[in-house]
Amino acid sequence: MANYWEIGKENLRHNLLIHAGIALLLLCFSPLVLGVKNLGLSETAKVLEIYVALIGIVLITPVFLPEQNRDLRDLIHSKYTKVASIYSIRVIESILVLMLFLGIYLWFLHRNGCEMDAAMYFAGTLAEMLFLGGLGIISYSLTDNLVAGYMIPIFYYITAIGGGKKFLKSFYPFSMSQGSYSEKYWLLAAGIVLIILGIRIRSRK
Amino acid sequence: MFAQLILKECRQTAKSIIYWLIVLILVIFFSSQLGNMDIAKKPKPGLESYGRYYSSNEQDIMKATLGYLVSEYTNGKYVTYPIGFYKMVTPDKEEQKRIGEIISETTGLDTKEEMEKALNAETEDSDAEASDKKKNHIIVLGGAPIAPSKTLTYDRFGELMREVDHLLGGGSQYNKKHLKTNAATPKTYEQALQEYEDLMEKDHLTGGYARLYSDYMGIMLGILPVFLAVTRGMRDRRSQMRELIASRRASSASVIVSRYISMLIMLMLPVLLISCIPLMECIQYAASGFHLDYLAFVKYSFGWLLPTIMIATAVGMVLTELTDTALGVLVQLAWWFLAIFSSMSSMSGGMYGLDLVPRHNTEYNYAGFHAGFTQLAANRVLYAVISVLLIAVTVWIYSLKRKGRLDIRGKLLGNRKRKSQA
Repeated sequence: MANYWEIGKENLRHNLLIHAGIALLLLCFSPLVLGVKNLGLSETAKVLEIYVALIGIVLITPVFLPEQNRDLRDLIHSKYTKVASIYSIRVIESILVLMLFLGIYLWFLHRNGCEMDAAMYFAGTLAEMLFLGGLGIISYSLTDNLVAGYMIPIFYYITAIGGGKKFLKSFYPFSMSQGSYSEKYWLLAAGIVLIILGIRIRSRK
Repeated sequence: MFAQLILKECRQTAKSIIYWLIVLILVIFFSSQLGNMDIAKKPKPGLESYGRYYSSNEQDIMKATLGYLVSEYTNGKYVTYPIGFYKMVTPDKEEQKRIGEIISETTGLDTKEEMEKALNAETEDSDAEASDKKKNHIIVLGGAPIAPSKTLTYDRFGELMREVDHLLGGGSQYNKKHLKTNAATPKTYEQALQEYEDLMEKDHLTGGYARLYSDYMGIMLGILPVFLAVTRGMRDRRSQMRELIASRRASSASVIVSRYISMLIMLMLPVLLISCIPLMECIQYAASGFHLDYLAFVKYSFGWLLPTIMIATAVGMVLTELTDTALGVLVQLAWWFLAIFSSMSSMSGGMYGLDLVPRHNTEYNYAGFHAGFTQLAANRVLYAVISVLLIAVTVWIYSLKRKGRLDIRGKLLGNRKRKSQA
């Protein structure tokens, strides 16, 4: 257990901190370009789904980055601690940071008089974040390339913006602003599956 | 030597998984957006609607804009879209007072009662109008048109609207770019027919579709090249070839410029190849003897899309060379995000400004394209020049690194790392 705690601490210090900083910067930047005051239900959902959810890519995708060097990966594989456990701890840490940031952002919107169904908006946005991050993780693990890990979820995001409901159907990420939550269950389930698959594939490489 | 380097780099790019992902994404995006392209048909008389157009008549623009401004002023709240996202602005007392003064100068309406009366009167008038007259009525968002005062010139009107936009923090319906889209007016049969004839005779059919193709592909090409540039930039370090390449005889400029040119060539290839699909559709549609511009897609791909590819690639290269990280992806994504959302109001074309991705989401509007051509050309040249400058900076950074004078990752970050206890 102490070992896992140490892994978490090291990840926070060497890997997560910089990505959390970038995510925080993106969120802090939002009031300059987005309306974050007195928004209606649909407009609040739009801000969360189109802007805030993007930090899922920033925080979840780079969990394999510290072992980008193959020699280092071989060394870690030779250790007693399972590499899948290391990756899982990193993903859980990233998700906790996402939840923290999302919670603070929702509180900030609430304080600014934005209408919201807080619990549903929190869960819905988190589901989208997990799916975007899951797409990133699976792409990264399959190609062994961080850039591909960023590229695939961004392509999915662009497709969704370009009138993607027709193509993405149950996986349409911006449904909450149109009053529908059913897509979020699909995104959540698929996000978890993609993250698990990504970790399994990477652990075997 | 230089040509050989370009060829080598092209081969390297062709082996990159990122490159083939980009090609795949371009194909999928094209199929989803333009795969079922319907070639325009001659409009028939007597239809209920022929769509809308933005009137360029100065009186129409002033009427529509002032109607919208008065309706927002009476509500005390103003809607803005700084980057395409809704933002409600509630001005303070001083700002609201100044907007009231501007309304008074532009419309002659001094009190809120007079303004409400004018809004209602216009609405009642428009309700009472005969249906054929209604068809030519200006559509005003959330209100009705209000006539400007007789002494108001269009220049003074533009000046005052800029001031209102400034008071609201930008992105409102009163900024210079949006003014042109305020007077949405239903199209008549004659106007629809004129647009069709322009497409056939002035654009030779392919010109209009090449613009539409450039509009869609530009969205993707504003971001995808950065992935290729960042991957290529990081590859030397990953495969531990940096020192080896640094010790070669080729100059820093040859290495970087050949890399850049090869990426441009490899990215332009799928763009040109995919453009053959809509070209073939245009050829099939056109009757024999019809004069098509067969080179339109090539011309638009180079003139419209190449500068977008150039800048996205250059941003990726310079930031990767400088930081040895994927920072370029984040920066380009942020720029792309702002550019795409803020250009949504100019999708009908003709208003290209300084947009990274100029929009013209229709095969029609040749008149708008023609009127905005100088603006578009300046925009494209500007991005091409900035790209060249960024590449010059990349060469400089690379040459410093080769000499061991600049190694941000190795020296600054490297010294900060402490040993893991895990």
